[in-house]
Amino acid sequence: MKYNLELIKNKRKIFSFSTFLILLSLLGILYSTFNTSYKKPINLGMDFIGGNELRIERVCEEECSNLSPDSVLENLREISTNKNFINNIKLQFQNNNKLISIRTPYLSIEESNNLITNLDNIIGPLNYESKDSRLIGPKLGKRLLTNCVTSLLVSLFAISLYITIRFDKKYALFALLALFHDLLIVFGIFSWLGIILSVEVNSLFAVSLLTIAGYSVNDTVVIFDRIRENLKSNEEGYNETIQLSVNESFRRTTFTSITTLIPLLSIILFGSYSLFWFSLALSLGIIVGSYSSILLAPSLLLKD
Amino acid sequence: MKRRQGWLFFIIFLLTLSVYLLINYPLQLGLDLQGGSQLTLQIIKEEGKVTGDELEAVNSVIDRRVNNLGVSESNLQTLGGDQLILELPGEQNPLVASRVLGKTALLEFRTQKKGTSTDLKNLQLQRLSIKELIEKYSIEEKNQNNDNFLKVIQDDLKGIEQELNYSSTSNDFYGKLIEIKKYVDKEITNLFIKTDLSGKDLINAGRRQEQTNSNWEVLLTFSNSGGEKFAEITKSIAGTNQLLAIIIDGESISEASVGNQFTSTGITGGSATISGNFSAENARELEVQLKGGSLPLPIEIVETNTIGALLGSKNILKSLYAAISGLIFVGIFMIFNYRILGFVSVLSLVLYGFFNLALYSLIPVTLTLPGISGLILSIGMAVDANILIFERIREELYDGNTLSRAIDSGFQRANSSIVDGHITTLLSCFVLFLLGTNFVKGFAATLGIGVLISLFTSLNCSKTILRFFTTYQSLRQKNLYLPKNNFSN
Repeated sequence: MKYNLELIKNKRKIFSFSTFLILLSLLGILYSTFNTSYKKPINLGMDFIGGNELRIERVCEEECSNLSPDSVLENLREISTNKNFINNIKLQFQNNNKLISIRTPYLSIEESNNLITNLDNIIGPLNYESKDSRLIGPKLGKRLLTNCVTSLLVSLFAISLYITIRFDKKYALFALLALFHDLLIVFGIFSWLGIILSVEVNSLFAVSLLTIAGYSVNDTVVIFDRIRENLKSNEEGYNETIQLSVNESFRRTTFTSITTLIPLLSIILFGSYSLFWFSLALSLGIIVGSYSSILLAPSLLLKD
Repeated sequence: MKRRQGWLFFIIFLLTLSVYLLINYPLQLGLDLQGGSQLTLQIIKEEGKVTGDELEAVNSVIDRRVNNLGVSESNLQTLGGDQLILELPGEQNPLVASRVLGKTALLEFRTQKKGTSTDLKNLQLQRLSIKELIEKYSIEEKNQNNDNFLKVIQDDLKGIEQELNYSSTSNDFYGKLIEIKKYVDKEITNLFIKTDLSGKDLINAGRRQEQTNSNWEVLLTFSNSGGEKFAEITKSIAGTNQLLAIIIDGESISEASVGNQFTSTGITGGSATISGNFSAENARELEVQLKGGSLPLPIEIVETNTIGALLGSKNILKSLYAAISGLIFVGIFMIFNYRILGFVSVLSLVLYGFFNLALYSLIPVTLTLPGISGLILSIGMAVDANILIFERIREELYDGNTLSRAIDSGFQRANSSIVDGHITTLLSCFVLFLLGTNFVKGFAATLGIGVLISLFTSLNCSKTILRFFTTYQSLRQKNLYLPKNNFSN
């Protein structure tokens, strides 16, 4: 089966589609920066701003009774002496009222223990064997954020350097453009997710961006490799050779994307909760990355 | 032919070795998989950077304290030059650890300034009444305190604040009580003069229950020179009205008088007791802190992670499901598309899994949730190289080449793109490992190792297995290598 992607014909459509995605991402980032409560391009989670996150299961016979988060908060307010922090609590019931998930600003270990004891009094008994509690200081959060941004920049620089050495400057430039395109779109999608669903990004999100960067370049490099090889035995015109090379690598690129997506989908479906958004970010990155490697990056090489 | 057999035996040998390693050196599971607490301790230094020596000194003090606490299998690592990561496996409450670790535990002995008796007595009385308030408050809180009671102690607190001429800043009521107690302890400390006896002169600490009541006391044992200093100091104040204060972290824990009988020699024997109305728990914590020595720099606990044991085992199970289903679906996809070649890649994927896990137990890599996701993701990437090669082989077959020619040039021609592609991923892993935090490091390590091993399994193992297959005549038909619907092309 031969594939026949009409790259030359559809160049404009590809560019407009990418421009549309980029504008949409920028819009999300701008909206997030100016019109949300957190005033950041993306909704930073407690990894970066500090805080307290607690997830614990209730011990119930058969079914857990339905409780409203508001009434629980009301009870907590009565018991607790620190009225101020209760106002900043986010409390949710999940998993048929079985799982309690709480977010608060930063607490000391003692205060956090106190909170759990109070909760046990109100809606107990709680199963301490299934507790997942995280406390992170605001100072450490800031440090993690700078750490993540630095590692992103350093590795982007390293990747750019590598492909500039391996390929000529034009190829390297376009591979990088495709890479930034992919990262920007994933970032934009998570900006929107933050605005609409209050999804927060943590340090694993930074990891997914880095992995996407490596993967996206990988994909593009393979196609450019093929283009370069075919141009050496240049039988058809320049543009036609590029289009042919893309069609020759099409199967390979979609197949590798599918085989990488399959394990990620298994993590999304069966894996632990804490890896859900991480795997989703990676999956999105791989989908956008394949699109840009197959369609966008080679189209940039086309001559008018 | 002989060389091919050599590779085949080598691969079988590696597989056996991996199984042996996995049986004898079990994988190390991170806290998110076995349950437990993890604390990140930040060393605080006002000016300049924390030096290597200081880091080591803090490390050894914390290490001693953790050991004295009796936590088994704990693990302490330094991170980034000014942080320590302490792991306490098993479901352990980080509260005790935080109380014991966070204190500097700087021990001092001071003698009372002359003419301060009235001030001291006054402060001691205030301290006593605050202690009573704290006790009352914590009892009442357990029984769901009523507002009436709160009002009573609030009034008491106001009285104390007025007498001390001090007003607390804390928002929280309990916080107020603790703050005032600290203030009084410090005021008491100010009435005393430093001596040259300190925690450095200590060689051991212990605890025992007092005979007269249920309180506990902490026993101190001095070194030889420390014992002499102690005798000297007690001699100088014996029989006077001056008291000897035992001060920890600038707050006076107890003040004692030295009896008339010690005027000639002082208290000899090189030991002392602190009886400060300790509960069993408090006495133990103080004992652990003193035994471990004082911290050269203060530390702050900036992060804690606690994961219940049940949740940990659930996490393992979920990851197992994810990994196995990922492997199965990738396998089905590959066999469906590449037939025998796909089957070869499944075999080399299984080898890949074994080699990976064996290497984790050998290095050793601690498996965490992000680590496992790195491993699962690298399954997908491991197939990547195989697909590149197989596509090349198919092209050669379509061009009418013989099977063995196609296989040879397929592997050869795919080489450069495979290496190029993997290097960019390795670069990202390398940066992540250098700059990342603990959890991120786990992901970077497993993904990086995975990519390296996949280079070996996809380039070498796949080739060897494929060559082995093609020695059988029945497995040499071209249509076993191409999907039927495409064969006519």
